[in-house]
Amino acid sequence: MRKGIVQLVAIGVVIGVALTLVAVLFQWLPTSASEEFDRIQAIYWLATWISVGIFSLVTAVIVFSVWKWRVSDDDDVDGPPIHGHTGLEILWTAVPAVLVVVIGVVSAVVLARNGQAGPRPLEVTTIGQQFAWRFEYPADEVRSGELVLPVGVKTRFTMQAVDVIHSFWVPEFGQKMDAVPGIRTTIVVTPKRTGEFRVVCTELCGLGHATMRARARVVTEQEFEAWLEERSA
Amino acid sequence: MTATEHRAPGHEYPEHFEPPRGPLWRILFGPGLVRGAWMGALFFALGTLLVLALRWWWGWGPVWDTEIVLAVAGMVTLPIGFLTGIGAFDYWLHYISGRPTRPEDHSGHGATSWKDYFRVNTDHKVIGIQYLVTTFVFFTIGGLFAMFFRAELAQPGLQFVDSQTFNGLVSAHATLMIFLFIIPAFAGIANYVVPLMLGAPDMAFPRLNALSFWLLPIAGLMFLASFLAPGGSFASGWTAYAPLSEGQPMGQTFFNMGVQWAGASSIMTALNFLVTIITMRAPGMTFWRMPLLVWANFTTSLLVVIATPFIAGSQFFVMFDRIMHTSFFVPEGGGYVLGYQHIFWFYSHPAVYIMMLPGFGIVSEVISTMARKPIFGYRLMALSLVGILVLGFSVWAHHMFVAGMADWLRVPMMITTLLIAVPTGIKVFSWTATLWRGRIHLTTPMLFALGFVTMFVIGGLSGIYLGSVPIDIHASDTYFIVAHIHYVLFGGSVFTIFAGVYYWFPKMTGRMYDERLGKLHFWLTFVSFNATFFPMHYVGLRGMPRRVFDYDAAFGDLNLVISIASFVLGASFVLFVYNVVTSWVRGPLADGNPWRAHSLEWQVTSPPPIFNFDEIPQVVGGPYEYGVPGARHAVMSTVEEKEPVHA
Repeated sequence: MRKGIVQLVAIGVVIGVALTLVAVLFQWLPTSASEEFDRIQAIYWLATWISVGIFSLVTAVIVFSVWKWRVSDDDDVDGPPIHGHTGLEILWTAVPAVLVVVIGVVSAVVLARNGQAGPRPLEVTTIGQQFAWRFEYPADEVRSGELVLPVGVKTRFTMQAVDVIHSFWVPEFGQKMDAVPGIRTTIVVTPKRTGEFRVVCTELCGLGHATMRARARVVTEQEFEAWLEERSA
Repeated sequence: MTATEHRAPGHEYPEHFEPPRGPLWRILFGPGLVRGAWMGALFFALGTLLVLALRWWWGWGPVWDTEIVLAVAGMVTLPIGFLTGIGAFDYWLHYISGRPTRPEDHSGHGATSWKDYFRVNTDHKVIGIQYLVTTFVFFTIGGLFAMFFRAELAQPGLQFVDSQTFNGLVSAHATLMIFLFIIPAFAGIANYVVPLMLGAPDMAFPRLNALSFWLLPIAGLMFLASFLAPGGSFASGWTAYAPLSEGQPMGQTFFNMGVQWAGASSIMTALNFLVTIITMRAPGMTFWRMPLLVWANFTTSLLVVIATPFIAGSQFFVMFDRIMHTSFFVPEGGGYVLGYQHIFWFYSHPAVYIMMLPGFGIVSEVISTMARKPIFGYRLMALSLVGILVLGFSVWAHHMFVAGMADWLRVPMMITTLLIAVPTGIKVFSWTATLWRGRIHLTTPMLFALGFVTMFVIGGLSGIYLGSVPIDIHASDTYFIVAHIHYVLFGGSVFTIFAGVYYWFPKMTGRMYDERLGKLHFWLTFVSFNATFFPMHYVGLRGMPRRVFDYDAAFGDLNLVISIASFVLGASFVLFVYNVVTSWVRGPLADGNPWRAHSLEWQVTSPPPIFNFDEIPQVVGGPYEYGVPGARHAVMSTVEEKEPVHA
């Protein structure tokens, strides 16, 4: 049996290494452009390592069992009558419970931190309407079809919808929130690098849903001030 | 009293009817599809007149409103007329009107020719096959819709269809797969198998069972008919979020009403299962001796009866807003938009378990039998189903983490969602432990069962990502979700349906399927399924939202790969149909118990006698006692043996 255990572990390691390569060699997430997304990516990797472990374990046992104990069609012998094992059953109830509680606690902490807008965030009112986005900067009375944000400044988006539900998402920010008729919803983004991104509507909103996009630019604070001035003039 | 005495002489006419007045009279006025057709037309006309008369009476203009006429006459009275015509209510109407009824009338029971499958039949075995064939027809149609929109999605930009049609295809694909395939296909398998497993002659309410089946094609045709409605089919997704669904063309009303018929069908079947399982177990069949498939359908039925009324309510509210100008979800009228999502998901999350638990049951049967070992941890397996049932009602709002609902609700819903991994994990680990040191027969059902376990683990693990609120905020409403639900509902549910159909095929048809074709079907499906859906995780996380006909050109190549793989996946289904049809017609005859399984359905002939058991089974042990020397699940007491006990 010792030889069997070695073989089982070997199969598990092969599957685990293969999965790790798939997880690491492809870039599964967009390069983060916000502090919030950095924190989300940390949980993403926690969940990924747990997933690699569990998937390798389960598939290794299945592959090993089928390889080791497969019999021909005309075999009519039964296996050993093992009805259960209380210790094992307690173990595989307790371990997943602990793992998910860990993920849950980490997630709750990240969620709380990602929701903090700080003392004086930049306020942006975001209005979704079939099939375009509008951004208003109430402090400076500026309205724009393009989202422009200063790098490193906490920004609080307040969402509104004119007609149906839309959803605001910039993949590189990792933050998303529905704009819902009749209520106001909020989300906080702290851009951490300059660049050009796309605002994507992710809630089916009708015929033009696939084309409901807007440009998002993250610029330096000076450039942002200049842009505001130019727009309000 | 043996069961054969019940057998009606033929299938022409129940005796309580007037003496037949010749063949034409019988075709026109006897229960059947012809009477169903003309009574449907008659009731449609009556419904139309009712609407016109009421609108004229109250002075509402214009008197003719196509949507309201269709909603009332087309989607309420026409189906009632059709059901009356085919004879679904005959017994009850006779009873109500005081005409003689014969409780022992079994003329509508069992099938002797293929024609018996096209009438109201009270035999759970006939109904099971009616369910399965009907649902596979809708699976084919839903699959073809998917082929259409995958062709459209092979390249960015619009090529073949306009955006309303695209949204319609996506919506109808999901709706057919959920309401007309997965849920009722499980009901079909359970209809056939559960009474046999319990040692019962039929379901508790055979006539209700027949009615539940016939509601199903009505719902399916209603969804499909929406494509003929002015403005095209319903196109706001299967989730049909208000207020988008409220401003949609007429097709949306077809969805609102179709869900009612499918939901009514589900609820009636679930009640029937509950009563059957509680009251019709054979002597000695305690709850702790029931096969796990029965446990699974018991918990599923509880989910159905508790949750399904909520989706019925949500769709009625939307329809009232649409055609009666109420404002349940209209913010300007004081309505609450998020209310729709709360009510909808209070059904539709438990619905995920409605679509999964019966599959768990099937896989437990297959793995235990094919590994020749008792299922590992039987009691914990049953209790984990109950755990999922209870927890399943406390997680609905995880579909709404970005919907703008109350912030405080997010963390509790996240914790309950993540905790569902615990009972689900117990099941996965117990299945793998059942394999350990078994004597594994790698037949087609076993391949699908093992394929299910691995694919479902992927679906479960991506569920952990989505359960974590911060990751969900990024991944919600992207192709990551599309990948996740297909790993759960295709790699999960559909694989178990295939496993179940192959496993019980010899029992249902009395013939064996072609094992080589079955294995080829599995491997083609398994590989093309992964090639189709695994890359969707990637495009989703990278920024491709779901339900779009056009997308960033950067995702073009991968989408082409996904589309090609999806066509292979579609083609692999043709193998299944070919295998099933040819084997059903001229496959080698199967004996009563080809898998040497212990549960009761295998202790009778294939297909089983008309009332299932010519001898009454006495259950004396658990259903999975493989390898236990001398263990029996049940002993069949013949009439002679039984006499002294009752004397």
